[in-house]
Amino acid sequence: MLKYIVRRIALMIPVVIVMTLIVFSIFYFAPGDPVSRIAGPNVTPEVYESIRRKYGLDQPFIIQYLRFMKSVIEGDLGISILQERPVIEMIQERLPVTLEIGLLGFLITFLIAIPAGVIAAVKKNTLVDYLCMSGTLLGTAIPTFWLGMLLMYFFAYKLRWFPISGYGTLQHLVLPSLAIGLTNAAITARMVRSSMLEVLNQDYVRTARSKGLLEKVVIYRHALKNALIPVITLMGLRLGWIIGGSVALEIIFSIPGIGRLMVDSILARDYPVVQGSMIVLTSSIILANILADILYAIVDPRIRYG
Amino acid sequence: MIAPQSRNGGVYIENEWIEQQALETGEEKVRKPVTDFIAKLFRHKGAVFGAVIILLFVCTAVLAPWLAPYEYDKPDISAVLQPPSIEHLFGTDEFGRDIFSRIVYGTQISLRVAFVAVGVSLVIGTVLGALAGYYGGVVDYIISSITDIAWAFPTTLLAIAFIAALDTGVENVIIAIALASWSGYCRVVRGQFLSLREREFVQAARILGMSDARIIFGHVLPNALAPVIVMATLELPKAIVIEASLSFLGLGAQPPDPSWGVILDSGKGLLDQAPWISFFPGLMIMLVVMGFNLFGDALRDILDPNS
Repeated sequence: MLKYIVRRIALMIPVVIVMTLIVFSIFYFAPGDPVSRIAGPNVTPEVYESIRRKYGLDQPFIIQYLRFMKSVIEGDLGISILQERPVIEMIQERLPVTLEIGLLGFLITFLIAIPAGVIAAVKKNTLVDYLCMSGTLLGTAIPTFWLGMLLMYFFAYKLRWFPISGYGTLQHLVLPSLAIGLTNAAITARMVRSSMLEVLNQDYVRTARSKGLLEKVVIYRHALKNALIPVITLMGLRLGWIIGGSVALEIIFSIPGIGRLMVDSILARDYPVVQGSMIVLTSSIILANILADILYAIVDPRIRYG
Repeated sequence: MIAPQSRNGGVYIENEWIEQQALETGEEKVRKPVTDFIAKLFRHKGAVFGAVIILLFVCTAVLAPWLAPYEYDKPDISAVLQPPSIEHLFGTDEFGRDIFSRIVYGTQISLRVAFVAVGVSLVIGTVLGALAGYYGGVVDYIISSITDIAWAFPTTLLAIAFIAALDTGVENVIIAIALASWSGYCRVVRGQFLSLREREFVQAARILGMSDARIIFGHVLPNALAPVIVMATLELPKAIVIEASLSFLGLGAQPPDPSWGVILDSGKGLLDQAPWISFFPGLMIMLVVMGFNLFGDALRDILDPNS
């Protein structure tokens, strides 16, 4: 097992290297002059030249990339052009906010998706199943940010149960997390249902039933445990989707998360911040996928890659 | 006669067999898989429902100049922030512009972005996947490594990164979505090629001395297309949502363009006063996404019964 974990983590290194290369190239080959981006359009040739040299922009691509990689490894993601502070500091402030929404979103996902998926599978082809599946059809089609606005309209403006926008208390996080959790629950519930249906057809479930166990025990103690294994991998994959969906919600609910930081920086052309956020976010997503894989291998001993 | 069961199941292999039969027994049988497929589509409730929704939106986009009662960008100070009524079906915004007309024209942007972006990413992914799967070896290793990494990026975030580098605007949204979403096709096509390239008909083509290009595009690719078409149908709604989100964030289409995302954004600050501004464009996104999802799921059921 340890060997598998070590190998899985070692495999992450080339992935992260290529990822940083891609992110670096996107901004390196972007149209427009990088010096003017930093200094503005009206500078004297001397200042222009000194900035070019200061940021190493006179060096060839590969040298620039290696320098960039070196500072990334040292934990230095550059300096924000706009705020003139280290990018890593700004990310450290903003990332936890986004993760709070994401975690609460995952919690809501599980609370809804697992019972709904199990009930739909157990009562296959009944009215309950059809209702659950129609719900997931709606949930997979509804844009997350629009759901956020609907929730804001009904629960903040009309019913006044929650604050309209801002950040600080748990109440502020409920509506955006609910928007993420509900849409994510739709896809997860489908997965739980099909996975549960597969497991319910297996021999060991029939054995458990024929032993005369209560149906509840068969479903919750025997079947559900195995049915949830594929859901673990799905959750790893969904993290990226959740962060992507969180961007617009942070704007709607005025939450100072990393998504909002990225959009503000793009509009202000503060490229080091965008680049740094991309690297931190994609690394965390890659890490989450690997953790999901390892967890998967721990719970299901049949799965060991190579 | 019953078609021989192929390892891969699907209709695409069956086509090949029926083509062979047609050579022996005449033209008529060539039509059979097509009519069979259409008959199956018509029997599938989800497919019909989805297709009707998609058709409605396509007609709306094409007939926009005749359907829209007002110009989409013409302000009218005598009709500012009107709730939905007979004159203004979906109400008006803070400039007195008719939301219904804006949404009708917005359909053009949504569908154009979705079809062009998906088309481009499909071509990129299919060509790369075909090369990787057909040649194998080093070519496969390089293409697969890049694809796996592109696959690990969430599409929305990657599209945002491309927009950051390219600047805002509808054309750049198309490029960003295309560059951010080709990896899925590449993986699927590569897998298909890996299993198809050892089949007898490919070996026969090779022995006949056909060029690689002719074998790849003329013989293997047509048999690998079914899952690609299913995937593309399911990518279209994703592209529509990404376009709307980017425009909503101010990174895509810019006002006064009537992109659904732009309309949603313009209603954001007026949610309490004029909820209809944001309500209707979101509803349209949901409907069109549901249409494509239903149709795509049905296509998968019919074309790819094994998955």
